[in-house]
Amino acid sequence: MSSAVFPPDLSPAYLRALTVPVAQTIGMAAAGMLVAFAAGIPLAVVIGTRAPGHRLLGTVLASLRAIPDLTLAILAVVLVGLGPGAGVAALALFYTAMIGRVYGSLFLAADAAPLEALRATGASRISLAAFGLIPLTLPDILTFGTFAFECAMRASIIVGAVGGGGIGTELIGALNALDYHRALTLVIVLVALVAGVDGLGMLVRRDPRLALILVPAAAIALWFDWPQIFAFRHALHTFAGMFPPQLRATQIASLPLLIAQTLLIALGGTLIGAVLAAPISLIAARGLAPLPVVLVVRRVLDVARSIPEIVFGLILVVSAGIGPLSGAIALGLHSAGVLGKLYAETFENVPAAPIASLAATGARPLAIAAFGFIPLALGPNVVHTLFRLEWNVRAATVVGLIGAGGIGQALFEAQQLFFYKEMLAYVLVTWGLVALSDWFGERLRIHMGWHFIAG
Amino acid sequence: MLELRGVRVVYGPGAPPALDDVTLQVGAGECVAIVGPSGGGKTTLLRSINGSVPIVAGTIRVDGVDISTLRGGALRRMRTQLAVIAQQHDLVDRLLVYQNVMAGALGRWSTLRALRFLIAPTSAEIAEAREALGGVGIAEKLRERTSDLSGGQQQRVAIARALVQKPTAILADEPIASVDPQLGEQIVALLCSVARSRNIALICSLHQPDVARRNFDRVVALDGGRIA
Repeated sequence: MSSAVFPPDLSPAYLRALTVPVAQTIGMAAAGMLVAFAAGIPLAVVIGTRAPGHRLLGTVLASLRAIPDLTLAILAVVLVGLGPGAGVAALALFYTAMIGRVYGSLFLAADAAPLEALRATGASRISLAAFGLIPLTLPDILTFGTFAFECAMRASIIVGAVGGGGIGTELIGALNALDYHRALTLVIVLVALVAGVDGLGMLVRRDPRLALILVPAAAIALWFDWPQIFAFRHALHTFAGMFPPQLRATQIASLPLLIAQTLLIALGGTLIGAVLAAPISLIAARGLAPLPVVLVVRRVLDVARSIPEIVFGLILVVSAGIGPLSGAIALGLHSAGVLGKLYAETFENVPAAPIASLAATGARPLAIAAFGFIPLALGPNVVHTLFRLEWNVRAATVVGLIGAGGIGQALFEAQQLFFYKEMLAYVLVTWGLVALSDWFGERLRIHMGWHFIAG
Repeated sequence: MLELRGVRVVYGPGAPPALDDVTLQVGAGECVAIVGPSGGGKTTLLRSINGSVPIVAGTIRVDGVDISTLRGGALRRMRTQLAVIAQQHDLVDRLLVYQNVMAGALGRWSTLRALRFLIAPTSAEIAEAREALGGVGIAEKLRERTSDLSGGQQQRVAIARALVQKPTAILADEPIASVDPQLGEQIVALLCSVARSRNIALICSLHQPDVARRNFDRVVALDGGRIA
């Protein structure tokens, strides 16, 4: 097994050949996020200032966000055509919904007193956003923005896998050709790309003005990746062919099992991720562990986070076979990376004063963690975990692509066989399932009184 | 008990001294107020006594031990003798009141005992927390969530936590800056009362000279890092 994968193909000719797909992937993520920020922030302001129609907008964004990125990518490829343009369209739509909804929630949770003072001056909604909402929530906006960019980079692999271009297309090609040496090279490139975005994110959090430098680069990428072979008549014809969505009686009968499999993969993946992340995050947080240990553990988490669930799934398929358990483990390994980072950052962001007070009693480091860091970070970390569970319901459909079972597998089988009516039916079931899990998660957070928003 | 001689603190090369030639003695059960303008060195003085700010000259002795010579575990053990009460009380608001109160005992507890206490506190530990809270007049708040208490009640919890620490000195840094004047006077009187009754040295920085004069045994003015 290891000799089939190692060493990675690092030949100069192959690395040279990778420059175009790498540029396509970066461009796709950057262009998609440029559109997402440009469209998502105004939508978030509408929600955050409780403008007329904000509830309807929130529902629409939540609905859009409930369609997994891979599903959007398939629709985009069908409608826009093969290539990075489809990837940009899918990413832009998905992340506009995400930015709009999450930033909107952040704005709603902003400190009310300064906003009230601004409103009292007669400030417009735009002024309220510029002078109140955005400055008040800037650290969270930047943290989530860089996190979303990272996600977009990974998602560009997923959209690439169905013909969106970039290293995702290369990766699927390498795996289909059973060339695991090249597949490993591509995974390493992906890890490096996400680490690069992480580093960039750290710089932007330190000096938000740096984000402005990225705008022209993303605009250039958007120009190059604009859909080029888009044929409106063909798109319309294909879309019309999906209606009415329909399933045969036997397919309807098997739906409960498919839904249960999907939910189990998501729950199992989240549980595995949280159980792995909880202890790891304690040694990944500055202030809780020595800096050299933090740096090493963070890099390990970066690697786990950089590898999309579907790539973990493909690795597991090669080594452990297919099925829902492999799907849950794939989700769990990726989730451990994500949750480990988020938990650690929450520990780093807890107010310094109570921790200093505990230290002043002469408490030992673990006691300070137990009495200070953990209870202070509990609320945000539970919210991170609930968000991850919601995310994993989507991801559970994506790992269906590689035979993990559930709704996702049925959807991809329908798409592969060009049964577009069945495909749309499964898309709608997926949408309903994700929307329901989002709704349930939100109710739970409100019930618990934890309104923090995070990845 | 607490003895400072010629203490000097400088926060960086070329910076003016934050404390300059400060000499002060505070006996057990004595209550001393430090007053002076913002930036005058009050907080620096308290932080240097706690060993949080290094001194560049002079000595700070607690029960005869020079704290500037202590590092690591020895400094941590010394800190168990010096309870700190901050302006914003600095409690962990998600913990229950008795958990915050007993956090004062963390310095003398092993890590295992601290973890066990969070999961299954003994009746003796709960009784100790109740007694400390009784000392500050809010024993009935024992099992409430800390975030549900008012600002004044939270400051009392911070005092109870300091009592549980069984310190030889309490260092209070503007403990009434964020409460109204009437409540502030009550808290200062309570602090002085518990310090005297338990023979604890109290050094408290304040912005209100009149409150200081009414409640403390001695008032020391600190301006520009020097005792006026």
